[in-house]
Parts: sequence; structure tokens; C-alpha cells
Amino acid sequence: MTKETYLHDKHVQLGARMVDFAGWHMPVQYTSIIEEHKTVRENVGLFDVSHMGEVFVSGKDAEKFLNKIVPQDISKLAYEKAIYCQLPNKNGGLIDDLIIYKLGIDLFLIICNASRIDEDLNWMVRNKRGLNVKIDNQSHNYSLLAIQGPKAVELMNKMGLNTHQDSFTIKLSELCGLKVLASRTGYTGEDGFEILVENEHAEFLWDKILNDGQEFGIKPIGLGARDTLRLEAALHLYGNDLDENTTPIEAGLSWSIPKDKPEYYNGRDVIMNQLQNGTEKRLIGFKMMDKAIARHEYEVYFNGEKIGVVTSGGVSPVLGANIGLAYVKNIKEICAGATIQVMIREKLHDAIVVKRPFVPKRNIIRVN
Amino acid sequence: MNIPENILCSKSHEFLQDNGDNTYTIGLTDYAIEQLGDIVFLELPEVGNEFAKGDTFATVESVKAASEIYMPISGKIIEINEPLVDAPEILNEDSYEKGWLVKVEATGDESEQNDLLEYEDYKEELE
Repeated sequence: MTKETYLHDKHVQLGARMVDFAGWHMPVQYTSIIEEHKTVRENVGLFDVSHMGEVFVSGKDAEKFLNKIVPQDISKLAYEKAIYCQLPNKNGGLIDDLIIYKLGIDLFLIICNASRIDEDLNWMVRNKRGLNVKIDNQSHNYSLLAIQGPKAVELMNKMGLNTHQDSFTIKLSELCGLKVLASRTGYTGEDGFEILVENEHAEFLWDKILNDGQEFGIKPIGLGARDTLRLEAALHLYGNDLDENTTPIEAGLSWSIPKDKPEYYNGRDVIMNQLQNGTEKRLIGFKMMDKAIARHEYEVYFNGEKIGVVTSGGVSPVLGANIGLAYVKNIKEICAGATIQVMIREKLHDAIVVKRPFVPKRNIIRVN
Repeated sequence: MNIPENILCSKSHEFLQDNGDNTYTIGLTDYAIEQLGDIVFLELPEVGNEFAKGDTFATVESVKAASEIYMPISGKIIEINEPLVDAPEILNEDSYEKGWLVKVEATGDESEQNDLLEYEDYKEELE
């Protein structure tokens, strides 16, 4: 059965086109994906991302447990800090990608993909044996609202949130008289907040943000623009760019893997070996040279040879060009500036390999 | 947007407009456009290409996905809406008068139109 967020009726009232996504009935667009995309790049947008999973991990061995299941060094994660993590299997392939927040000495919050929550929980339970840790899936009790764009902080300020916090931090805060968890994170490449609030207050907060945001040009934003925004920022989408057969090294996530973490974690041998010796395939970004659009699973060619496959592709409203991510054979000729081809409806179309992200990120904020 | 009076519509959301002399204009219905959302790319056939009823003759892409467009009747392409290729967003404003796709000369029997619906009936089917 398709699930609905506590904001479902709001989306329908706003005239959103609703689609099934990862088992949820979600808004894909309210007016126009391109218009919504530009709203987030220029002003501020409001997203309902309540379908995402919230799992609290607590107990004496919480840190030890997390260190076992992610390559990142959770011992180094400071109080109220967030870190981008992956959940590898024994072969280094990814079960999911996550954000982990430290809420206390023995208390962490994991935000995971809606489509992967069951697999994540199964995997976590299998890995907790012998450890004093509690895994508490609270996804059904919380709504998650994302406020993203260059005017997001100004709007949150006006609404009374104490916005004095760095990017990738989380604080227990007060917003419009509600106790919320305010995280300075997002999935758009823009500055902004993600607000975790109890379900019963979600509708009130949604309406209030849309109302108070009017003077900043706020609009509700659907999953369609969420996808084009994250693609411009070259942020991976689980299921497209990441899966159980891709490692974080192949996915271009080496920057997130510590080289000196002492603890053993799932997939460590493969990941460390690839970090040292390289990989067979790797993720690249590309820009189409014509108006054709590369889509998920289209084939990629170089000098007449098939070298890989597109994992995400679409339009970049900001660049006015079509862009994509692809896994290709890891050879040195395929570097920024190289010309590759994408097979689109039985014809090869030129594309140029470009550096990621496609559009500069503006979400690295330090307040002190 | 004005809906032309003399059109027939297919269940795959193409419209067929009779221009007399055995020639027809083919395009997408307003319902199809609404479902697609922002249109960003259009691929049209070449003049002279021949297609059977049901063949894919063009491709339209919205931000979300690529969709094939099918021939509502058999025909030979006699004209394409060239300006549309450079400005496919015109389809979002008007898919009939400015946003028609191709003109064809019918090569099949008129009975090919039997499964096409009058606009009112087509609208009713959608509900």
C-alpha cells in the first residue's frame, strides 16, 4: 500500500501532480519543474521530504556500532555535527548512503533513503550482535521539511530560528513555538535547513513557512526539481548512481573515506585496496554537446568502444545544457575535456567530460 | 489555448486534424502536454519519411522523461514544424495552432481512423 506523509493533503490542495516514489505518494511538481528549480537557485523553496527515514541509534556501544557499519570515523564526529556516510556490504558495495548526526555521547540520528529503510534496518540488526546498542526506527513519528536556497537562512531567521550554526551541524531549536531539530544540510547544493518536527505539527509549520516566505518568493518544490537540483550539484542518488555493486571509491566518494581509521568496518579490505590501487570503473560528469538528453541506463562510448553507462541524466536549468553522470572504464584518456558519446535512440551524440559539480555549491557555511 | 473543432484524438494522446486533399496535421493533445510538464526537447522525422499507423515517428522529452509519439494513421511526412525543434517550450503554451508537429499525406484507408475519438469523447475517456 502506498504511504502518505502528514503533508499529503497540503500537496493535493496546492494542485501538485502526485506520483508513487519509493512506496510513497509524493508531489513531483506543483507548477513546473524548471520554475521550481530556479526558485531554489534564486530565492527559497520548501520541500516535504518526510518520506526519508529517521533512525536513532543509542546505547553504550553506539559509536562502536556505527564505526563497524560505515567507513567514516564516527569517533571523530563532534557533538551536534553531521557527517555524510555510506553503508557498505562486505564487498564494499553500497546498501545506502546516509547522514549521521551526533546528538549526545551515546545518541546518534541517521537519516536514510526512503527506498532503503528496510534494507538498512535489516543490515543494522545483523551487525549489532554482541553490542549494547538500541536501533530505534522513528520514521513514522517525524516529518522532515527542507528549506533551501539563497534566502533560506533569512527566512528562518525571520521566523525566529536561531540560525547561528555551521553547515553540517544540527541543533535542538525552537521554531514558531515548536521544538524542532534544525540541521543545516540539504540536497540541492544551496544553503538551507532541514527541519525535523513531530508529525502533528507538520501541517502548521508547512503553512507558516509558505506564508512567512512569501516576501522571499518562496514556492513549494516537488521531487522533480529536487532531482534536477541534486544533479547540478552532482550529488549521488541512491538507486541511480549508487547501488550494491558500486563502491564509494568507484562513486568518486574517496574524499569521504578516512585513510587512517583504526577500526575494521564492512567492506574495508575492498575499499582500502581500491583507494590504493584504483578501480576498474569510475563515475564521471558530462555535458551534452547538442540538445539531446542522456537518461539513466543509456550506453556511453569512447572511440567506438562501449565504455560504460549513464546513471543519471537530464537538463540543467542553470547551465541551459544537458548533463549527466556515468560509470565508465577507468582509463586516463577519459578526463575533463575528453569527448565521449552517448547512445540516444540508436544514434551517438557527443558529450564532453566535465568536472563535478556542474554548478558551484553554495552550501559551505561557517558562522564563526 | 483554443481546441480546434475538427480533430480526432488517439488513446496515446495524439490529435489528427483533417486538412482536406487527403492531408492531415498531427500533434499532441493539451492533456498529453499537461501530463508531460516542461518540454525541453523534440525530435521530428524528415519530410518524405513514411510510417504505418502505430509507428513511432517523433520523440518528445520533458524534464522527467522521454516519450515516443505514435502515428494515429499511416502516412508520408509532407511538412514538419521546424521552428518547434529550436523552441519546444512552445508546446507548453499551445500544442494545436503553434505546436503542431507534422503534416502528412495519408497512405492508408480511412477505416484507420475508426479507433480515434472526437475530442469530447476523448476527454470523457480520460475521466
